[in-house]
Amino acid sequence: MLRVVDPSPLNWLYTTYNTVEEPVRVTHRGKVRPAAMSRYRWRDGGRTLEIRVRRGERFADGTPLTTDSVRRAAEEQFRWQAPHPPGTHFNIDPRTRVEVVDDRTVRLHLPEVDGLALGKLRATHVMSERFWRDLGFGYARKGSGEGHW
Amino acid sequence: MIDEPGPWASGAFTLVEGYSRIDTEPVVTDGDDRTWLQTEHRTPTVRLRANPRYWDRARGPRVAEVEFRSDVDPDRALDLVCDTVGEVDVVTEVPHARADRVRHSRHARLVAVDAVRVLAGAIDRGAEGLPLADVRARRALNLAVDRRALVRDVLGGHARPLAGLTPPTPLTALHRAPGRLRSYPHDPGEAARLWRAAGGAERPLRLATLAPWEAVAHTVAAQWHTALGLAVEVTVLRGADAERDARRRQAAKLPRDWDVLVLEQGAQSVDVPPLELHRAFVGRSGEFRAGPVDPTFERLFDRIRMHTSQLGQVLAANRVDRHVTGQALALFLVAPRVLYAVNREVAFRPYATTFELADTSTRRRHWSRR
Repeated sequence: MLRVVDPSPLNWLYTTYNTVEEPVRVTHRGKVRPAAMSRYRWRDGGRTLEIRVRRGERFADGTPLTTDSVRRAAEEQFRWQAPHPPGTHFNIDPRTRVEVVDDRTVRLHLPEVDGLALGKLRATHVMSERFWRDLGFGYARKGSGEGHW
Repeated sequence: MIDEPGPWASGAFTLVEGYSRIDTEPVVTDGDDRTWLQTEHRTPTVRLRANPRYWDRARGPRVAEVEFRSDVDPDRALDLVCDTVGEVDVVTEVPHARADRVRHSRHARLVAVDAVRVLAGAIDRGAEGLPLADVRARRALNLAVDRRALVRDVLGGHARPLAGLTPPTPLTALHRAPGRLRSYPHDPGEAARLWRAAGGAERPLRLATLAPWEAVAHTVAAQWHTALGLAVEVTVLRGADAERDARRRQAAKLPRDWDVLVLEQGAQSVDVPPLELHRAFVGRSGEFRAGPVDPTFERLFDRIRMHTSQLGQVLAANRVDRHVTGQALALFLVAPRVLYAVNREVAFRPYATTFELADTSTRRRHWSRR
């Protein structure tokens, strides 16, 4: 048991990071590294980011985290013009097409090269189906995901 | 953000009680680009419980439960972690001025991390009556600052001088190395010469900052006055409303009542600092940009996107930093360390960009294990 007082105005974000996984997270020193994905590679000269989803990962409700979970996380955020509270600089181009290749591989087909997309996956929260159905990022409370990821 | 408790995700913990969320207000920074002003709402207690399904067992979670307390203010919390056991185990964001309080306490130790954060100033390059459109004047402001004195005398040694806008952490050495990016030296003589050459001031310079950095602002104002003979009026924005209003006006590029605004800005990773730091102060979509769009900056920033290799990104980021530094497009002050007060029976290792507890554990003599 730990008792914490965190006056940071980013406490809402830290609560998210402590309870949610993204395809990538950051190390103690701040370096981006795989999390919900086990590895990645760039294809097509940087216009396709291929993600290998980690095998056997489950949500806290017991359901599996799959390639479809990653696809939905990406496509849900593409619905909004400015989903991320820091601002649109965290947007992955919403024209990106998400392809589920097989049971472990997802490809993000970017309309143009964006080497920053890998780091932006830190803001792509991978959530359970139950989350999307019952809560969503502001969907239940506000009816919109704008500024609420 | 997570609005309600539930088994929504796969992280190290599950939110089981309360919430910590924000209401957001959009501000157009440029064209389709937006940022959001944030108003916090937290329940008095937010409780996280260890997720037994978390895949990375080597990382954690290593405690069964985490309780975030918002029912005590930070000053009181610091007293509690220093003087008591069982009330508070970790206090984040300890003010630098209170580091000694923790260091000399019976029950807490001070933990510091070289965070990916900068304390820097947005410079209004269009300010009337001041020569801030002239690079010589902006260089003069930077050359007149004694960063080492700021670190030593104001921040208790818990900061490092900034070179450009890339904080000096172990992983940014390569970002900063090409081109030998260095801090502006403290050179009052050269600063005065450049200031005069740029035409000097027709009125006092208005320096604004947020409350935590008031002492820094007054020190910088004194250094400018000494080196440049410049009258400086310091304004401190106190409280969330004043801060939000200043950010709103600044992000929307409305008329501002300051010439230099000193604030802290962080990044969520160390890989490409310009995405959140240089872009914020200088970029077209930058929420702190105070002056015309800089085409050279935009061209250099766009080149970062073209690289998918880490080395390519580092080199491209360095070019951005060298341009921002050479043109003195911000006031480069220090990279403040982030300080934590931590109960002595808690094994806590901080993160440079976030606050996560998956790998934090308690020792055998911790109050919760007795």
